[in-house]
Amino acid sequence: MKKKKELKISRRTVMKGALAAGAMMSAGSIPSKLFAGEFNIPDPLKPLPTTGGNMRWIDSGDMKGVFWKKLFPEYAASRGITIEYDGLPWKEINKIVPIAIRNGTVHDVFQLPIGMDPGVAVSEGWVQPWDDYIENIEEWLGAFPSGVYLPGVNQFNGKTYGTCLTANKRTGTCLLYSEKYMSEAGYDPQAGRMTYSEIRDAAKKITKNGNGQYYGWIIGGNQVNRWEDVVHTFGQVGGAHSGRGGFTNRHINFQNGKFQIASDQYMEAVELLLQLKSDGSAFPGVMSMNAPQARALMPQGAAGMIFQGPWCIGVWGRDAPDWKYGIASEPVPDGKEAQPLYIAEGGSNTFWLSANSTMGPFAGDLIRFMGTEQGQIYWAQTVGAADPAVNPDAVAKAGLTGPSAQALSMFAENILVGPNPIVRNKDVGIVAAKSRVPDPSLALVIQGLYTGQLKGVEAQLKDCNQRYEDALDKAVEEARADGANVTRDDWVFPNWDVYSNYGAEKYQEL
Amino acid sequence: MHKKPLSKQIYDARWCYLFVLPCSILTGMFVIYPIGMSWYFSLLDWSGFTKEAKFIGLQNYYEAVNDEFFWDAFIRSFIFMFGTVPVKIVLGFIIAVFLNNQVLKLAPFFRTVIFMPVVTAIAIIGIVMTFVFSPFNGPANKFLMSTNLTSAPIDFLGNPDTVLPTVMGVYVWKWLGITMMYWLAALQTVPQDVYDAAKIDGAEGYRLWIHIILPIVLPFAIVIILVEAVGALNVFPLIETMTAGGPFFSSEVMEIYIFRTAFVTDSGTMPRLGYACAAGVFWGVAVLFITVLQGLWMRRTRRI
Repeated sequence: MKKKKELKISRRTVMKGALAAGAMMSAGSIPSKLFAGEFNIPDPLKPLPTTGGNMRWIDSGDMKGVFWKKLFPEYAASRGITIEYDGLPWKEINKIVPIAIRNGTVHDVFQLPIGMDPGVAVSEGWVQPWDDYIENIEEWLGAFPSGVYLPGVNQFNGKTYGTCLTANKRTGTCLLYSEKYMSEAGYDPQAGRMTYSEIRDAAKKITKNGNGQYYGWIIGGNQVNRWEDVVHTFGQVGGAHSGRGGFTNRHINFQNGKFQIASDQYMEAVELLLQLKSDGSAFPGVMSMNAPQARALMPQGAAGMIFQGPWCIGVWGRDAPDWKYGIASEPVPDGKEAQPLYIAEGGSNTFWLSANSTMGPFAGDLIRFMGTEQGQIYWAQTVGAADPAVNPDAVAKAGLTGPSAQALSMFAENILVGPNPIVRNKDVGIVAAKSRVPDPSLALVIQGLYTGQLKGVEAQLKDCNQRYEDALDKAVEEARADGANVTRDDWVFPNWDVYSNYGAEKYQEL
Repeated sequence: MHKKPLSKQIYDARWCYLFVLPCSILTGMFVIYPIGMSWYFSLLDWSGFTKEAKFIGLQNYYEAVNDEFFWDAFIRSFIFMFGTVPVKIVLGFIIAVFLNNQVLKLAPFFRTVIFMPVVTAIAIIGIVMTFVFSPFNGPANKFLMSTNLTSAPIDFLGNPDTVLPTVMGVYVWKWLGITMMYWLAALQTVPQDVYDAAKIDGAEGYRLWIHIILPIVLPFAIVIILVEAVGALNVFPLIETMTAGGPFFSSEVMEIYIFRTAFVTDSGTMPRLGYACAAGVFWGVAVLFITVLQGLWMRRTRRI
């Protein structure tokens, strides 16, 4: 486990904090304007406790971490508290948060592990609603675009348990490339979406030009979810319409409610990855590096292309500001038109407040500020396209340029809102809680095919598809045995037009 | 002779029991209780952190023994043990023999150097080794390529054929120092007059070692093998930091398998603590069985 990173506050700041605390004792609240900083943090809407304290916060880091590390010291000083921040990869969150919940030491504010049903968190009493801590919460919620706050997703029993500051309109498998290498290979991804053949050819040429010094393509292959992400999104671009999210959404075609892991589009995507390897275009050693390691090698000139998310933009901008790179949409199979990608309604990066937390007033005050237009502008200016702010007006006012602006415009063009079974029937959450991804998962199957430990793409994907079908059937059966009113038909949305957003009126039509 | 009643025996030894009590309480809390609870949990369908836990009898055990990945990990753990313990025992013995020689003035220095990895945090070693064996600018590959031993970098930790031997090699390097110390301790129990007498009788070189020294240190050897075997079955931190069991389960030993099922996986569904406990209990019994076998072997050897 990584060592906790406690935000260091300078002696001067501490003295300012002490002065402010003194002022607060007499005035009842802390005038934040005492602190000249990067952020104009408004006064709290109502007086905060004067007892101070330490607020612990954990999330999946990346650009969020960059932003929090700038904001938290200023916010902490303005409110007379300390903030301990842990920005960790999802793999670590998935391990740490369940253990912390189990032993009652979870952070004040945290993200739930991937795939964990929020309904379980609420019913088990791990979290408390934000309503008591966010002043005028109804008005505050009203400022968010529709579809961000939804019953069964982040609202339960009429209260808001999860807060979202960011949109989920993004993909994690964009084509990011070295301008120099790609140009030397004779390709310009900005001229139009590249095809699989073009990707393969470009990778071959880059590798040839590299003469052993650099290669055409790289991936963080020991982080198994990267394989699944690439195949899933490429499959969608190829025309395998499906949902995103956890096990009960992902890879399911909501037109018929069936998994489509064995579809031609998925097979083509897997074949592309295998061809990149067999061509010798893959960076040697992809199987022993994770996604951040692979990403870090790009500016070092190790490879020409990587399929990753917009979070690379901020990291590269900080670590390799002089390196020239481009961002483009995912490639499309030869002879096909790119199809839309889908997200479920709701936001992303949902923050939950621990039921044991005594720092609710401060957490609520901070979240409330971050949900205002000014807070969202601050967020967008630092985080950019990596985790896009949920308020589109704030994003427009943030004045983003370069790859961030390009990525956001790409996402706006390529991504639609698709159906979400849990919005239709909250008992789907019970199925999610009971579901288990079968072994080996799709991610591992693709990894196994890539390493050569598994043979036969079609047979393996068909087997995998059947395992997923059986696993969902079993979870539905178990949920029904526990009284849930749910059937596999809840995954069938016959009125889904794959070329338009699936909104509230569509659910009403069902 | 008239035997005292049990209550009287206990009363007479009350101070002994009193002194044993703190240790018994701690053992109960931190050894007996967790073992008992893991047996109980293994009978439940339980994620480990929800209120809902259903008693399912031996179903977790049934599922585990029918899971090919369970058996793969099970066998892999023993491959790891059989691949590392003999190497450590033999290598440790040879090094100890050399460093036990009083004539070698730099023996303390070499002992320290060989022992140094033992006192280094295993997680740190695991992470550093991922860089050492990296195909891109990793020193291992740089060395191989600069000496023309290979023409292309080897993905030691990413290739299913090389990953386990590589981790085994790191494990041997990391813990060789402790094996050497065991052997040094054993060798230092051989009295100097045995060496002197052997020399007078004309036993030198390999004959001295085979016929004189080895029989004396043999009982130690059995204890060392036992300790090493159990140690080689507990390699979680090294493998988790180096490969996390990958690629595609190639280095997944039992502890990694148990960990993977006990916690939320990369795939993102609820963990299965009940199932993981069943796998853990099964594994614990297997290790206990081996330990008992070795214990019996030790007793038999002592009799000889």
